[in-house]
Amino acid sequence: MIACALIPRLSLTSALGDRREMLRAPVAVAPEPGGPQVIGEASGPAEAFGVRAGMRLAEALARCPALVLVAADPVRAEAIWEGSLARLERLGAAVEPTRPGEAFFATEPLRGLYGGTEAVLAQARRALGAWVRLGAGPNRICAHAAAARMRARRGPTVIAEQAAKRVLAGLSVSVLRDRLEGEWDGRSTNHAAPRREAEEAACVDSLERLGVRTLGELATLPADAVADRFGRAGLRALRLARGGEEPLRPRAPREQLACELRLPEAASGQQLEHALGLLVDRLLAHPARRARMLRRLRIEARLAGGGGWRTETTLRSASANPERLRLALAPRLAELPGPATTLRLRALELGPEAGEQGALSRSPEDERRNRVAEAVRQARAAGGRDAVMRVVEVAPGSRVPERRAILAPFTEERDG
Amino acid sequence: MAESPSGSRPEVYWPKPVAVSADAAGAPVAVGDVAVEAVREEWLVEDRWWTPRPLQRRYFEIVLADGRDIVVFREPAEPPEAGRWFEQRA
Repeated sequence: MIACALIPRLSLTSALGDRREMLRAPVAVAPEPGGPQVIGEASGPAEAFGVRAGMRLAEALARCPALVLVAADPVRAEAIWEGSLARLERLGAAVEPTRPGEAFFATEPLRGLYGGTEAVLAQARRALGAWVRLGAGPNRICAHAAAARMRARRGPTVIAEQAAKRVLAGLSVSVLRDRLEGEWDGRSTNHAAPRREAEEAACVDSLERLGVRTLGELATLPADAVADRFGRAGLRALRLARGGEEPLRPRAPREQLACELRLPEAASGQQLEHALGLLVDRLLAHPARRARMLRRLRIEARLAGGGGWRTETTLRSASANPERLRLALAPRLAELPGPATTLRLRALELGPEAGEQGALSRSPEDERRNRVAEAVRQARAAGGRDAVMRVVEVAPGSRVPERRAILAPFTEERDG
Repeated sequence: MAESPSGSRPEVYWPKPVAVSADAAGAPVAVGDVAVEAVREEWLVEDRWWTPRPLQRRYFEIVLADGRDIVVFREPAEPPEAGRWFEQRA
């Protein structure tokens, strides 16, 4: 059995904070600064207008002109979610988080500790709190459906193996959108993944347009016909609709290594750089680091104007040199969309304990990156700053070609 | 056709004016001095019909006698573009 822990609209409720009454109006999470122009989670009244997470901002506003956008607070949402995942892991669960507010874990390994599936869910509920919805089923879709149906007074629901086919048959094909897209979240390392993700989302849209409304209707279609029309994405959808499942891929539990600094007044510019320098020193002095070097770091900030912001930096080689860390992190502060009230530095990946040792030869990717950066510098020296630009796709599917992409300044750190 | 939004900076996919001769049915027969060998595809794009300046383009994907495969379109017959032809990556 697979269990699902669900916090509906976690990003939205985190962004709203204590303004929960706004959930009664059409409201959605605004696009993150510097990110794609798509909205985040939407409230029930907004969904009634056809607005949904991942929709382009212009389309969402066209569908619901009264839509209110709230600044995203990914830092807060992640803190809440990370706390929930850590509590599940403390129970012994190997957790696969798919997106903020949704995670799966196998109940079989925990049955020896707590009893049957219901007992495992009851234990998880005690650990997470009554506001987290829990459910279990033979696959992820059934487990999610069970969790979504849970009512606070009645406790977690379990969909038995025998009932799974009937439950799946009644579900809308739109549930595949989350499952197909979710399979690539944070796991894909190749460049074809975004295209594949778009193909899979388009597959679900096409199914709906063709009148295939439920998983039951999809499951009855012949596999060769689905493959002809939708290719690989269609076959994956068909396998899920027929109850097929891929094994869970739980995350490796990790240590939390972070330092936070409250800024006495909303800070920006040099003040912020100074604060970052202090955080670097504190993180390096953190006892949990145990002399290991830092490889990947995240800067998080709470903004004076509401909402949060975060950015990640991966060092080319792990380092514990404060000067080098400051040099790598400080340029990122320029991306901060407004003055911050709190700054936090988090180590996401740690390197080995040993001291730094330069590689005898560079990797082909580093070599390529250096060559690109050098070419950009040379082109700019000869032709000015606009000599090298980056193509940003803004509406890749537009029928009017000139609306599909724009040119934006090329930044060496991000694009090189 | 509006000016490129960034002024002199080239934009991706931005249409470039091109001299096209068309037959009575409106299909291109030559681009500059080069004859059109074949029209591979033809389609119509209509957009912004709810605005005072609707967009209506008749696109042709053509193969030229020199082997190039290009896409051209014609603006509608209203001024200021009044039937001008453009080449575009599409």
